[in-house]
Amino acid sequence: MASDHGQQAAGHEPAVTSGPPPAAGLEQDFDAGSLYALRSAVAAHAAAAGLAPGRVYEAVAAVHELAANAVRHGAGHGRLRLWTDGQVLTCQVTDKGITPDGQGQHPPAQALPWPAEHAHGLWMVGQVTDQFTIDHGPAGTTATFTLNI
Amino acid sequence: MADASAQITELTVDDHACLTFGEPEELLDLTAAFIRDGLASGLKVVWLSDAASQLAELGRRGVAVQPARGRGQLVTAGCQGRLLSGQEFHADAALGWLAGQVESARAAGFAGLRVAVDMGWALRPVTGIEELPRFEEGIAAALEGTAASVLCQYDRDRFDPVTLASVAGSHTRSVAAATYHADPVLRICRQYAPPGIRIAGEIDYQAAGPLALALAEAVRLGGDIVVNLAGLAFADVRCTAMIADAVRAMAARATVALQCRPPVAAGFARLGIDGLPGVRLVPGGQ
Repeated sequence: MASDHGQQAAGHEPAVTSGPPPAAGLEQDFDAGSLYALRSAVAAHAAAAGLAPGRVYEAVAAVHELAANAVRHGAGHGRLRLWTDGQVLTCQVTDKGITPDGQGQHPPAQALPWPAEHAHGLWMVGQVTDQFTIDHGPAGTTATFTLNI
Repeated sequence: MADASAQITELTVDDHACLTFGEPEELLDLTAAFIRDGLASGLKVVWLSDAASQLAELGRRGVAVQPARGRGQLVTAGCQGRLLSGQEFHADAALGWLAGQVESARAAGFAGLRVAVDMGWALRPVTGIEELPRFEEGIAAALEGTAASVLCQYDRDRFDPVTLASVAGSHTRSVAAATYHADPVLRICRQYAPPGIRIAGEIDYQAAGPLALALAEAVRLGGDIVVNLAGLAFADVRCTAMIADAVRAMAARATVALQCRPPVAAGFARLGIDGLPGVRLVPGGQ
């Protein structure tokens, strides 16, 4: 659920641009209606980058969880950037929303109790990726993960 | 129930039912249930289809094919020489074949007869196809006073709506899989043989509503359950957890076979489902 602040911020400049600017690769906006297209695009680019099929699935799954978080708990939409640098695939999901409690989102340190909770998706991202960080600030949230190729 | 159609398991003697299906998996699942229940009731069962590997498909779905064939209780055959003569269709000849089958089953001492007919032949260039509605009408008369039922199987994507509408009135029942969600990306439906649930395509939190309904009904099914995810290419964490939750509930009182592709199976493994007593992970899918 997006906060009022997040709703008002929608439609302006991209929120956060931390990290290296993506070179050629994938740059795609998403919202609730385009998560399927986002997954397809990530699968194609991750496979083209040389990831094994199982790792392609994990890249897709991780991007989906971050994007779904942005849709459901952030601004309701966001942007994915994907690029490769040597033997590392990096995916970065940005959105301009903040969580309703204003606390931002942090990768949970350890396994969460079943059944699933909101942060369970983030836990999975931490499990399947090689590096995973979330930066948040007044301008929004940037979640970045890498997968070694 | 997710739709108003009759369930395949509800068909009775002298029904002339129209089964519409949207994909081969659905046709084979419903047909296997129709045949399984017929055999269990001591009926003779005939399945006319030009599809290859009919028997193997039935076997994969839990029908004891060879014993039933051995005692003459199950016959699978093509349409040629039964409904068709070369490239010609004659309603009277086809109805004559059906009447012969009814009589033959009775003479052999079976309690009745079940006939399933894949109507795919009617999509080919066949002379006399305009007699199809008369054939469908005639079946009602052929079944009257007998212990026989007929299940006509129409591919709803390949038959035009006019044809489907013209034959619909001749059937006593319409049968389809209970479907909880269907769009180009995702299909969630009941599986009948073996009993369970089937999810194909890609699923994420946006389908949590129909998934919850489908799982709630699957949990209430009696006996061992198959969760068929062989056609599921993607499941997000939310839906994986919902399915895992339901599987835990099912496994408390029955055996659950969880059929899925390796990446989806890895998602269940992360939730601790793979080591759960009563749960069998079955590799499946492309």
